[in-house]
Amino acid sequence: MQRRDFLKITAISGAAATLDACGSPDHQLIRFIPEEDLIPGIATWKPSVCTMCAAGCGLLVRVMEGDAEVVRNGQLGLMQMGLAKKLEGNPAHPINQGKLCPRGHAGLQVTYHPDRIRTPLMRSGARGSGEFKAISWDEAMQHLMAQLSSLHEGRLPGRLVFLTSPLRAQRRNIATTFAGGFKDSQYIEFSFFDEGVVRAANSASFRHDAPPTVELGQSNYIISFGANFLGTWNSPVAQSLGYGAMRQGRAGLRGKFLQFEPRISQTGANADEWVPCAPGSEGALALGIAHVLMQDKLRSAASAGAAGELIEGWAQGLAEYAPEKISAQTGVKAATITRIAHEAAANGPAVALIGDAAAAHTNGLFNTLAVNALNALLGSAGKAGGIQFSPVWNPSNDKTAGAQEASGAEAVRKLAEQIESNANSVGALLIHGANPAFATPAAWKLRRALEKAPLIASFGSFIDETSIFADLILPDHSPLESWVEDAPDSGSLRTVVSVAPPAVLPLHDTRAMPDVLLDLAHRLGGNFAKALPWKTYDEAIQADFAALYKSKGSKDAKTTDDFWSNAQQQGGWWGPQEDAAQGATGAKAASGSVKYAAAEFDGNQSEFPFHLMPFASQMLYDGSLAALPWMQEAPDPMSTAMWGTWVELNPATASKLGIKQADLVEVASRHGSVQAPAMITPGIAPDVVAMPIGQGHENFTRYASNRGANPISILAPMTVAGTDSLAWAATRVKIARVGEGKLVLFGASLREEPPDAKRR
Amino acid sequence: MAHQWGMVIDLDRCTGCEACVVACHAENNIATVGEKEAARSRANHWIRVERYYEGDFPDVKVKFMPVLCQQCDAAPCEPVCPTFASYHTEEGLNGQVYNRCIGTRYCANACPYNVRFFNFYNPKWDKPLNLQLNPDVSVREVGVMEKCTFCVQRIKAAETNARAEKRDVRDGEIQPACVQSCPTNAMVFGDLSDPNSRASRMAASSRGGKLLEELGARPKITYLQRDTWNGDENA
Repeated sequence: MQRRDFLKITAISGAAATLDACGSPDHQLIRFIPEEDLIPGIATWKPSVCTMCAAGCGLLVRVMEGDAEVVRNGQLGLMQMGLAKKLEGNPAHPINQGKLCPRGHAGLQVTYHPDRIRTPLMRSGARGSGEFKAISWDEAMQHLMAQLSSLHEGRLPGRLVFLTSPLRAQRRNIATTFAGGFKDSQYIEFSFFDEGVVRAANSASFRHDAPPTVELGQSNYIISFGANFLGTWNSPVAQSLGYGAMRQGRAGLRGKFLQFEPRISQTGANADEWVPCAPGSEGALALGIAHVLMQDKLRSAASAGAAGELIEGWAQGLAEYAPEKISAQTGVKAATITRIAHEAAANGPAVALIGDAAAAHTNGLFNTLAVNALNALLGSAGKAGGIQFSPVWNPSNDKTAGAQEASGAEAVRKLAEQIESNANSVGALLIHGANPAFATPAAWKLRRALEKAPLIASFGSFIDETSIFADLILPDHSPLESWVEDAPDSGSLRTVVSVAPPAVLPLHDTRAMPDVLLDLAHRLGGNFAKALPWKTYDEAIQADFAALYKSKGSKDAKTTDDFWSNAQQQGGWWGPQEDAAQGATGAKAASGSVKYAAAEFDGNQSEFPFHLMPFASQMLYDGSLAALPWMQEAPDPMSTAMWGTWVELNPATASKLGIKQADLVEVASRHGSVQAPAMITPGIAPDVVAMPIGQGHENFTRYASNRGANPISILAPMTVAGTDSLAWAATRVKIARVGEGKLVLFGASLREEPPDAKRR
Repeated sequence: MAHQWGMVIDLDRCTGCEACVVACHAENNIATVGEKEAARSRANHWIRVERYYEGDFPDVKVKFMPVLCQQCDAAPCEPVCPTFASYHTEEGLNGQVYNRCIGTRYCANACPYNVRFFNFYNPKWDKPLNLQLNPDVSVREVGVMEKCTFCVQRIKAAETNARAEKRDVRDGEIQPACVQSCPTNAMVFGDLSDPNSRASRMAASSRGGKLLEELGARPKITYLQRDTWNGDENA
């Protein structure tokens, strides 16, 4: 027995004796012996990585000593421990350079959330009833092992499916390798905003399977097709940094920014020119601009290279996209299209971005390929201020038999179908980080499938709409409590491999998901143990860094150990400034193969006269952040709404339908209906209604449950042609007033109007 | 001469993202009040982003403007306080002494910028959310007014460090939480008594102006108005 253990035991038993004597244990908590050496009142700053979205910003965590109520070995007590007090951007990190978005700040509340799952849980009621009992890790692991080894040895029918939010670096490697050890297994990555369309298009146009990295600070002309790049799209903090510099970072030079979209986003609100266009017409618009560039001899067709050649009719100058021909279908005046083409040609570097709804129509892939071709024609692709690609580090992967990998909403739909047709076809479903029961259309009936699956195990930190169906919950550490490693594929032109040890000790009885998988792999033995030789997750990350050092070297580190400790100290390793993007990887597409595709919409226009535009909430993102009270109470930038959902309507539409501000409105598609209060705003086309994604949870902590409405639930089950992504902007709806509603707005404003602004 | 802390906010950079709003919650122990109280206008945000629409569809323009305590030199909130809870510090801040405050709310009524918030209840953090509280900032109780302090705890810490090292505070050394997190670098904090500080130099911009300047409160925050694109628009 070590001295420290002895002290702990004496402390516990001594205090327990006192407790018996003194009555109420609430006021007489025992004190555990602290496991860290911390100086009271002195803050230390520890690096970490933000996991609130896929951007992968670097964090510094302010850690201070404090007393936390913790349960250790079944005993409640007080422990003096390091507590995370605030998250800041890591100034040394190439992506966010010391800055952080609102969602990043709120990451702190994941760790200290009152409804976090504190111990492993086992289902004690019916599937989906939400009744669980706490069990020990030993029991949980035994239970899971029994099922997995039966599955592995063929004693149980069905395949293993690992369903996760998109992962990167060693965490992904461990998950795919583990899944790959099972025969005929499947590894599915799912998130609502997965950039699958942009990736597919960039593979074809530029042979890079990644979202773009744009140094906006060097751009002089930005044309964005629906991309909310200052809010939630791609790498918003990196893009915001560049945007600030584009506006006021260069003496005497201020770039222009123009946004095409039918509903004004927070990003569109900052444009010099906001141009509403018909939903799904973005590709035609991009080719219209390209036509003018070629027609007026501002650029030559050949200068666009492969990205241009892909488009049918490119070499002939795209005559069918002449501005006057596409004006009616896009809703943009021919003169405007011509003017924009001339402005962009004269003010390079010019860049075009596309994302969010513009890429989520059924013709999203066409739209994105068209914008890629426009970028190539503008001549800034691959150059500063234009579309570029990050060099990406991928851990070496020597797995023998890989899991079948799939991604996107379509993979989840097929999974639901597979379980529906034969419940035993999926012997074990492991779920990590994803909440598809919330984030897929109700029409897919995923929940019904989840009720039938033989075994569901979740690594979630919260009970949500998906994990409530689990038989077993093996709660992960929060990111601040865990080793973190990340290798983002956009946001910086340097290779970025972030790493950080745990910033704080785990508050609850949780284990890191990769550690659980490694433990299971060792118990399963054989090929599993061979493919996953590491005992712990940090050992695996260290091995990855050894490989990184061997491959890339470093000026600042003489040995692998130095390299590893330097990386931990600064929060990662970044490649040199002059790092060029890695070589092309995507498949080469045939020239002229991309034909015009019109957007298709579910529901006929006479019965369902409005386009439904769901959009990413600035605070709640895809709904995964709705559990965090700071995010619930932070006012939405465009509406100041808090704690709820709303439906945005054009004033003309509202008056025609007799809808007043805050009236309760029913939004109905062919697949269901939701209700939310009306928000009347001038920044939306009369034939469009918009709703923020994020609320409408049924089971997701005390702060998010039974609040607002979830527009995803009424979406039509349509996919973006040529990809596995959900066409979430392809649903038509009808709307009607159903009664009085309530909007919670942050009303505070100046007591007088500033003379130059009219407030509504 | 004592420092005179001030700020410059470049509205041409501000995107209305509200990183400043949440950074402020985290730094200053601002409690969430929940949906019911928020609906009664009792949500607390020491900094907010105001949004202004101009024009009608389709010719819509939007402006964002972060508004926080302007730390006025002739602050209307100060003389109305019967208990001297609102007072002017030597360094030009509009201080708020919580233990003196008796909750008359005169200051909130006097403030033309509407940046003072009253605690209608004792703040509540569902355990263990209380563990995230910043020990450098006091938690305000029921009946007390609160407001932006320019992160005075950070100012004091930097001044103490500088004194220990026998030097003056360096320009840019102090960053309130909002300034620190701003993803577009729209906000700059500094000493307005130093004509060479970055904030002083930026405040002299031809785009600069004060909020509701005509009221004569002499605010210490300068807003740089949005710029326009001056490229060849008829190209």
